Parts: sequence; structure tokens; C-alpha cells
Amino acid sequence: MDKEIQEDWLDARLRAEAPYIDDAGFSSRVVAQLPVHRSRNSLRAVILLAATVVASAIAYVVSGDGRFIVEAFAHLTQWSLLMLVLLAIGCGFLLTALGSIAAIAKMREQQSLGASDRL
Amino acid sequence: MPVTDAALVARVLVDDDHHAFAELVRQHQSTVRGLLRQLTRNDLALADDLAQETFLRVYKNLRSFRGEAKFSTWLYRIAYNVFREDARRRKELVGIDESKWQEEQDPKTVDLALRHDLMRALNLLPLHERSAILLCCQNGLSHEEAARVLEIPLGTVKTNVLRGREKLKRTLAAWGPN
Repeated sequence: MDKEIQEDWLDARLRAEAPYIDDAGFSSRVVAQLPVHRSRNSLRAVILLAATVVASAIAYVVSGDGRFIVEAFAHLTQWSLLMLVLLAIGCGFLLTALGSIAAIAKMREQQSLGASDRL
Repeated sequence: MPVTDAALVARVLVDDDHHAFAELVRQHQSTVRGLLRQLTRNDLALADDLAQETFLRVYKNLRSFRGEAKFSTWLYRIAYNVFREDARRRKELVGIDESKWQEEQDPKTVDLALRHDLMRALNLLPLHERSAILLCCQNGLSHEEAARVLEIPLGTVKTNVLRGREKLKRTLAAWGPN
């Protein structure tokens, strides 16, 4: 029992000797030394774009030179003007909502990282 | 709400997000610098240089972190390796010999403030015992985690902690609970 009390006391003293060390620019100095890897991001964008173009081309060819697109437009022409306007407005709202959600999420993420240490 | 280590690591890996890495550094700089200060016997400038090298090494090797252990354990391991490499270069791995230890633990010399005595007692421990004590008793790592950090068997960690504790208790006997 005495041994346990002594160990608790020793551990408590040791922890007390490890106070919080203020950052005082340490993080900024570390980040300033990081290598820059911008090329990887731009390479990823190129790969994504190329994959999209290739996939679209394949879909176009496989579907009989885009017959499904012609059919879709033919189908749309049978809709009333009101329905087409509602469809356009709906698509607009949907895109705006998705964009806003993405922007808010990104803003919160940036805020949580602390604006003071932007480099 | 603070972002978790795992989320920050993912953002660094996926987006090469320097802001996320800065946050990782901010969250862990105090413990890493504190540990290195103790290991370098309170050489603040050297400890900060080693801490900087530690975080740069973390950044370069982040892809090898598989998340099997806690991020902090992995970080301590890198910090300890950086310290060990530097100590090897400086040939300071040997630590203090036992004769000096015996001399220093004379109760007549224990007449300064507790903090001073504790730091002195810690600095007198051989490196393997000091490291185990710092990781387990001061930074709260389990024996298993400390074994991973120090890359030594679990039993050795337990022995080092036990011996280190005994030596500290002997030196600080006058300050301990009655």
C-alpha cells in the first residue's frame, strides 16, 4: 500500500515537471521547412479529367453513337414548357445547395484549424 | 471541437494539406519538446532542433504510419530515434556511471528544492531507465507502447521502469509521503 502511494506521488511529481510548452512560433518554423508538393495535386486533376473524358467517350460509343442522348432530348420535347422550367429551376437549386454545403463544410474545416496560423 | 489525429493525418496524405500538418504539430509540440528536453538533460536549443527534425521526419514518413498504434506512440518513437541518432553522434548514450550515482544519492547532498532534486535525479538515471520513466510515468504510455517506442522487449521496459523508480525514490525519500 505504502509502495503504491509512493509510486502515485512520484508519477504525480513527474507529470508536474512536464508543463505545457508554449508553441511560440515552433509550428510555423516546422511548416516553413516542409517541401512543396504542388505537382501532385495538379497531376491528380489531370488524371481525373482524362478519366472523365475517356469514360464519356466509351459510354458514347457503346451506346450506339449517343443514341440515348437523342432519345432523351426527344422525350424532353414531349414535356410541357412549365415542366421544363420546373426541371431547370430544380437542377439549379440542387447544384446551389450542394455547392453551399461543400463551401460551409470547407469553411468549418478551415476554422477548426485556426486562422492565425495560415502560412 | 478539436480535429482528431487520424483526420489530420488523412488530410496531409490525401491533400498534402500543410494547414492540417501545422495543426498536428501544434497538438503534439509540447509533449515532444518536453520529452526531448528531458532526454537531452534540459538542453533547450538542442531539444528544439531535435523536435523540429522529428516533425520533418514525421512529414516525410507519414505514409508509413499504418494506424496500428496511436499516432502519439509513433511520434514518440521517431522523436526517440532522432534523439538516439544525435546522442550516438555525440557519444552520450552511455549515461552516468553507477559510482557517480552512489555519490549523488548521499542524503546530505539532497538539500535543494524538490523540483531541482527531481530533475537532477532524473538526469542521473542511465538513458534506458530515464527514457522508460519519462514515457511511462511522465507521458502516460503503457509499458507495451513504451516498448514499441524504444524498440526493446516489454520485460526490459518493465525492468527499466522498476529500477528507475527505485533510484528516484531513494534520492527523493526525504520528499516522499510518510
